[in-house]
Amino acid sequence: MNLASDVLAALRTAVMEAHRTRTPLRLCGAGTKDFYGEGREGAPLDLTGYRGVVGYEPSELVLTARCGTPLSEIEALLTAERQFLAFEPPPLGGDPTIGGAIAAGLSGPRRAHAGAARDYVLGAVLLGIDGEVLRFGGQVMKNVAGFDVSRLLCGSLGILGPILEVSLKVMPLPREEQTLRFELSEAEALAAFNRWAGQPLPVSASAWWAGAAYLRLSGTAPALRAARTRLGGENLDPDAAATWWRELRSQRHGMFGAVRNLWRLSVPSASAPLALDGARLIEWGGALRWCATDLPAAEVRNIATAAGGTALHWRGGTAGSRFHPLSAAVLAIHRRLKERFDPHGIFNQGRLVAGL
Amino acid sequence: METRLAAAFQGTAHGAAAEAILRACVHCGFCNATCPTYRLLGDELDGPRGRIYQIKQVLEGAPATPVTQLHLDRCLTCRNCETTCPSGVEYGRLLDIGRAVVDAQVRRPATTRALHFLLREGLSRRRLFGGALRLGRAFRWVLPATLRATLRPARPASAWPRRSHARKVLLLNSCTQGALAPSIDAATARVLDAIGVEALIDPRSGCCGAIRHHLGDPRGALEDARRNIDAWWPRLESDAVEAIVLNASGCAALVRDYGHLLAQDPAYAAKARRVSAAARDLGEFLAPEQAALSRRTRALPAQRVALHKPCTQQHALRCADQTEELLRKLGAELLPVQEAHMCCGSAGTYSLLQGELSRSLRARKLESLRAAKPDLILSANIGCITHLAAASDIPVWHWIEWVDRALAGTTA
Amino acid sequence: MHAASPAASRNASPAAPGAGDADGGGARRLEVARALAELLPSDCLLSREEELRPYECDGLTAYRQQPLLVALPRTEAQVCAVVRTCHALGVPLVARGAGTGLSGGAMPHGAGVLLSLARFDRILHIDPLARTARVQPGVRNLAVSEAAASFGLYYAPDPSSQLACTIGGNVAENSGGVHCLKYGLTVHNVLGVRGCTVAGEIIELGGAALDAPGLDLLAITLGSEGLLLILTEVLLKLIPRPERAQVVMASFDDVGKAGEGVAAIIAAGIIPAGLEMMDRQATAAVEPFVKAGYDLSAAAILLAESDGTADEVAEEVAALESVLRAAGATAISVSHSEAERLRFWSGRKNAFPAAGRLSPDYYCMDGTIPRKALGAVLRAIEAMERKYGLKCLNVFHAGDGNLHPLILFDANKEGEWERAELFGIEILELCVRLGGTITGEHGVGVEKLNPMCVQFSPAERAAFFAVKAAFDPPGLLNPGKAIPTLARCAEYGRQHIRRGELPHPELPRF
Repeated sequence: MNLASDVLAALRTAVMEAHRTRTPLRLCGAGTKDFYGEGREGAPLDLTGYRGVVGYEPSELVLTARCGTPLSEIEALLTAERQFLAFEPPPLGGDPTIGGAIAAGLSGPRRAHAGAARDYVLGAVLLGIDGEVLRFGGQVMKNVAGFDVSRLLCGSLGILGPILEVSLKVMPLPREEQTLRFELSEAEALAAFNRWAGQPLPVSASAWWAGAAYLRLSGTAPALRAARTRLGGENLDPDAAATWWRELRSQRHGMFGAVRNLWRLSVPSASAPLALDGARLIEWGGALRWCATDLPAAEVRNIATAAGGTALHWRGGTAGSRFHPLSAAVLAIHRRLKERFDPHGIFNQGRLVAGL
Repeated sequence: METRLAAAFQGTAHGAAAEAILRACVHCGFCNATCPTYRLLGDELDGPRGRIYQIKQVLEGAPATPVTQLHLDRCLTCRNCETTCPSGVEYGRLLDIGRAVVDAQVRRPATTRALHFLLREGLSRRRLFGGALRLGRAFRWVLPATLRATLRPARPASAWPRRSHARKVLLLNSCTQGALAPSIDAATARVLDAIGVEALIDPRSGCCGAIRHHLGDPRGALEDARRNIDAWWPRLESDAVEAIVLNASGCAALVRDYGHLLAQDPAYAAKARRVSAAARDLGEFLAPEQAALSRRTRALPAQRVALHKPCTQQHALRCADQTEELLRKLGAELLPVQEAHMCCGSAGTYSLLQGELSRSLRARKLESLRAAKPDLILSANIGCITHLAAASDIPVWHWIEWVDRALAGTTA
Repeated sequence: MHAASPAASRNASPAAPGAGDADGGGARRLEVARALAELLPSDCLLSREEELRPYECDGLTAYRQQPLLVALPRTEAQVCAVVRTCHALGVPLVARGAGTGLSGGAMPHGAGVLLSLARFDRILHIDPLARTARVQPGVRNLAVSEAAASFGLYYAPDPSSQLACTIGGNVAENSGGVHCLKYGLTVHNVLGVRGCTVAGEIIELGGAALDAPGLDLLAITLGSEGLLLILTEVLLKLIPRPERAQVVMASFDDVGKAGEGVAAIIAAGIIPAGLEMMDRQATAAVEPFVKAGYDLSAAAILLAESDGTADEVAEEVAALESVLRAAGATAISVSHSEAERLRFWSGRKNAFPAAGRLSPDYYCMDGTIPRKALGAVLRAIEAMERKYGLKCLNVFHAGDGNLHPLILFDANKEGEWERAELFGIEILELCVRLGGTITGEHGVGVEKLNPMCVQFSPAERAAFFAVKAAFDPPGLLNPGKAIPTLARCAEYGRQHIRRGELPHPELPRF
């Protein structure tokens, strides 16, 4: 306990000092998402030392941990109680901290069916620019006291300040899981995914790659039995299935191999196949489309916008041009938020939006 | 809700009754969800919760204004809100009190008063109305379009049965139905005859009183009630008839209320209660006779039917399901109707006094009824039937006419 | 405990100049009315006293404030024009849907325009393949599910007032409902919003695509109680109707045991579709109205719903029965038809207004606590009933620890409302002490401003104001709601100290 409070005191001092001297800080976790974001400037502020699970009540479905706690530590604790983080935070080439996972706000294969990272955030503690420790949300799901700042912090990439602690809703592990494989074209897969999503089936993840659609079913034995009978398809061997989803979640799948340009498009799930060349991988029932294309960025963005979505230059873009641009009005709100939470641009300046 | 009656209303019967009802209201707003005028106008002032609040304001001493009067006038008195209300607020009673109080403070413009007078006197007198209707039908081509549709010639009445039976019931000597749609009473009598019940009409009875009651003449309504009670009493007292069967749900609702309306009249209170207890909606009366009717059914007229359940049957009498069930068992294919709880806009004289709202509601109701493409629209109240028929290309009948045809073996 | 005068407690927003009186407010009213009359047809603007009165409160009648004017626009263009004009004139704006809210969130501002979105009642588009519904904010919650039913889909968040409450209001309060335990709150079921900023500009946040660049402004808009945006459209997520749903009703002879039953269900790894509790007084209030067959002798009844395929439900119902039996249930019954299932729920869903049958008025509280503290809270409330001399029925979203104590009182009786209010505040502060929050789903509104001073520190409240200022720099949208000012909290804190109770520094701050 003492150690943690010492670490916190040091962090607070560092932040206050940086604020006083107008020194921009670069918030650091385990570094697994260093590639993700617009730019990384500033003096490093290492948050990994502030770690430890502060509270875990399986029967309350809530876990609270300090930001530097490795994801693996949390997952081990949860697995022992037959629980898990339903949004499946992706460990991208390492063992991320939970603070970094929430600050990045990325979610894994289960996102379309179980919800995103921010849907599981019950509360967060923010280190304010004046060194203040601010607690938002709580440890209960039903909580509308004050604005939902804890959910706002999810995916904020640290630009409003470092997340010190986070309370997350945890879920019971599904009793059983099974993956079905279907030989389908991209268009057929998209149609099928959307059709199935409108039926009461225990789907927890879906993906399409190279002429094959993968559907993960999670639930009780009778539910899976009924779904299998209804859907048909090839029943994947459990190990092969686990490997498939693990590789997808951690992006060790071939799609994410050495390509110069990798785009991540977020579009409405029922959108038709996009007019993009290059290898394509679909996740989230059609709502997430990966594409290794060398088309000019403007063109890819136009295709995404035309489909009603946005495009993120996951790999290959230049600093300040990764994320899809914001509309003027929305950008204005971003600017005002940043001005109030971090008037001198200390926290991860320019990481989420160029210039902010 | 907290209620502080103004001195003028404290200690009065109206005040006490209103206060008790107001205390039950917790202002939850559920009632607005099913109020037709709130759905149309989207204004709190035109929903039951807002009307309750406006009545409360007046009873607490705020001056009633023409604006208040308008919002109360716009109420259809469909009493959908009462069915929806989880707190048991007797909105209908409160509205009657509120209207009386407001009308006492706010004098209507002369033209409106004249119209009210004409309607009260013209509609409630059978012979007068009948004569006017005949004239209107003869000259309908020179009348405005809105009236013309209502003045289409009526369906011919089939022959009145001639047999006598041990079982007898009284029918209402209706003010308007007999002239507007003589086929309804005839069909009623014939269906009753088929199951061995003789239908009697006492010529001394007349309008049930609803017209005067809802047009701000409660005294006149009580006179109508007394007159009917006097006419019916001998047969009722001697058990010569087993029920007073009403085939217009609007009338049935009012006759059911005679007991409450005349509760303060020592000469009539007990009789009125007895009359109310003997009053039956036609569907209620025939429901137990369904097997007998089924046996006598020869052929079904138009089968695909959309049933419009009148507000009075749904919310005042709360017996609409019985008619529906009866028709289904007799073989009618009742098509689904969305928004079945919404008023058709007839609401007694509402269609004449609040024309625009009434027509909007009618259009909405016809859309719901027509959606599944029925061959026929059936209902249980003369007001609804006349109102809907005026704008519907699909024929609109009283459901008893359908049953009558089924027994006679004639198709539509 | 709460030393503010009764009059102040009823009129919680700062008195606006000339609000409500015929002459003083008259000039301003005339000025704003003239400006708005150029933008709106005459049936879209109300200015007479008798027209404004029925709009002076929402579902919480203890807090009333007559607005300057009421505007009832019909189109988005009209909304923007009204907002722009009010912005230019510095007129506060309070948005209102069905006015069924229970925290005074739609109580007007005395110097402001009440902007009713009740006429925005169209369902614009349902896309069954994409499983979305684009609706106007005045669409009733239940209407969405009714419209989606023919596609085998429905909208999951189902607050008890769903018959009447609007989607716009649901977004403002991040409403939950019986089924939010399994299917989430409004925040989990809204994909995007479209609305008007205080400057009259239309922005869209979120959308049919799952990710959006930048900060998650959609998330912060949800539950923002009308302080950040005026909505004109909402994009909702629809989910497939389960094949079957069944309700298990369990009686307990002790409320503590019932609370433990709830914890046992979650501990067994079951997430029921709904898990609710009603105490004896609540059951007695609703049973005569709904005739659901509630066990009137039970100290508490639990309603647990299971949904899914027929096999799944059969298995889960069996599991629920066994867990509840082990937890000490004295009787268990299971619904055997859809009609029966709905009847079992009807009492719970009508509990609040049905309380109106027992008492002329009720004060509905809304707090959340960790599930394990349910028993402790209920026992504490029993003691408070004696302390304040008022009865309290209790209904809970037991599955997520969100409680709704209904304090019965008679506003016509001297002092009862004041006692009810104090009773309520004591419950809320207890919730915070036990590790919960002062509001689970009804919002802070005007009603819980003081307890916000207990739940949050000055710096945290300053952060809330920072968010507010980012969206609404002039502070015109629903001012005086949701976030208490420093001054207010200072005054409230002084009252605590005057009574000899110092604010506890060791209180967990959430």
